[in-house]
Amino acid sequence: MNQQTLLSELSEIFNEVLDKEGIVLKPDTHAGDIEEWDSLTHIQLIVAIEKHYKIRFTSLEIQHWKNVGDICQSILDKTM
Amino acid sequence: MLFNTGTFAIFFIIVFISYWLFLKNSVKWQNLFLLVASYVFYGWWDWRFLSLIFLSSLSDYLIALKIDAPIKPKSAKIWVTISIAINLIMLGFFKYYNFFVDSFIDLFALFDVELSKRSLNIILPVGISFYTFQTMSYTIDVYRKQLKATRDFVSFFAFVSFFPQLVAGPIERASNLLGQFYIKRQFDYEKSAIAMRQILWGLFQKVVVADNVGVVVNQIFDNYQQQSGFSLILGAMLFSFQIYGDFAGYSNIAVGVARLLGFQLMQNFQSPYFSQNITEIWRRWHISLSTWLRDYLYTPLAIKTRNWGSFGIAFSTMLTFLLCGLWHGAAWKFVIFGAFHGIALTYDIFTKKTRKKWRKQIHQKIYDPISILLTFSYWTFTLIIFRAQSAKDAFIYLKSIINKPLFTPDDLSLAGLKLTMVGIVVFFMAFDYMGRNKTFAIETTGKPWPNIGRFAFYAFLVFLIFLFFQTDGDAFIYFQF
Repeated sequence: MNQQTLLSELSEIFNEVLDKEGIVLKPDTHAGDIEEWDSLTHIQLIVAIEKHYKIRFTSLEIQHWKNVGDICQSILDKTM
Repeated sequence: MLFNTGTFAIFFIIVFISYWLFLKNSVKWQNLFLLVASYVFYGWWDWRFLSLIFLSSLSDYLIALKIDAPIKPKSAKIWVTISIAINLIMLGFFKYYNFFVDSFIDLFALFDVELSKRSLNIILPVGISFYTFQTMSYTIDVYRKQLKATRDFVSFFAFVSFFPQLVAGPIERASNLLGQFYIKRQFDYEKSAIAMRQILWGLFQKVVVADNVGVVVNQIFDNYQQQSGFSLILGAMLFSFQIYGDFAGYSNIAVGVARLLGFQLMQNFQSPYFSQNITEIWRRWHISLSTWLRDYLYTPLAIKTRNWGSFGIAFSTMLTFLLCGLWHGAAWKFVIFGAFHGIALTYDIFTKKTRKKWRKQIHQKIYDPISILLTFSYWTFTLIIFRAQSAKDAFIYLKSIINKPLFTPDDLSLAGLKLTMVGIVVFFMAFDYMGRNKTFAIETTGKPWPNIGRFAFYAFLVFLIFLFFQTDGDAFIYFQF
């Protein structure tokens, strides 16, 4: 799986969880760029991503994320 | 040393002149000078408690270096736990020891077990809740690898004790403030002019609004059993404006004073009383505390409990706000205050989609002002618990609003004073609304006006400050936290 495929899959998850249409994620997208991405939906996104890829992030890993690129890297580390 | 006193004015003039005139060419000397000035500022109140700031700073300075060194993740976790424990033990002893001991004795008394009273005569060190949170967040950020540990001893100690925000915030993050100590600061006339405007507005909020409205609030809350229903409602509403003026006033002076020294602190308030729900109020009220709680308490809790579904979110929210309440003071009334906010936020979370639908159906021009009004009413209701002497007094106060006659002839006795206070609040809120998207209400007020108009406006504010100055004005409310 490459980062581009991952980004489009994540965009779908974001659209579904945030109840929005047309979110297109880029590696440098961060919470400040999407209005609905707040401290509450952040947790819902994590749960949805973990369920989709059947993986489990550690708390420290999650707290290191600064943008979508970091999330992608964590997923790639666990699925490759 | 209070911001609204002559002592502080003299202290700051000395600091300002020495800082820009004699030390402008050396960041190191400026930092050392700020550190000494900050310790003098704090020591003015009680020099013995300087040892606590020193201990808190030293432990976090050393522990962060340990964590940043190449060590195993498990060891890093132990070190960060030690750092948190040191700060919480200090905070727990000085702020909560008597509260926990008394609550423990009361609990046993419920089962008819008499325990001897072991309360200690402990003085609460001013600002302990603020600087312990500030220094803790630094070590946690280093542990999370969001920040490198600093080896610059003087800068770090000056960051923890920086006098403009030491005793009542904003609770700064090292990621924002610490780095500013490393770089050369230049005196900037434009920035200094903005800083002076911010200090002026902060003084207006404190001296004109908070201290004067506080006189009426004290009269009503101290004799609440003799008041009419109308007076009790007015007292509660005025307290909402008093605490806002008091705390936002302090923050504005703090940010302004820091700006005069070339530092940019974070914005702590953004017109909270125009919020449409309690969640929004907390995004605009004491922002440095709410974001601290979000990053270091709510998010880790919610991550840990993420598989519990909605219950995990509700649990994390409730626990965060119960502790937020307790942060404000060692009394059950603050825990209850926090609980009501936890309930409101949980309600907000689970009705988000429904409320969005309502807004569309009702039309936002009707929905928005009603939401603002309801939010402010709920906020004011929780502040009755906050302001009353105890939870029991708050309950009787609330009951009296319903049971007492709405108006009594006594209401006319202070009608003039009450009307003046309402006038002050309307003036305050009008500017607060106009400047709701600015970093402080009058940031750009008068910019397009001719100079004479702008200066007349500033002169009018100064005139109000002198006119309404209370010689026995209260200390800042948030100092007790």
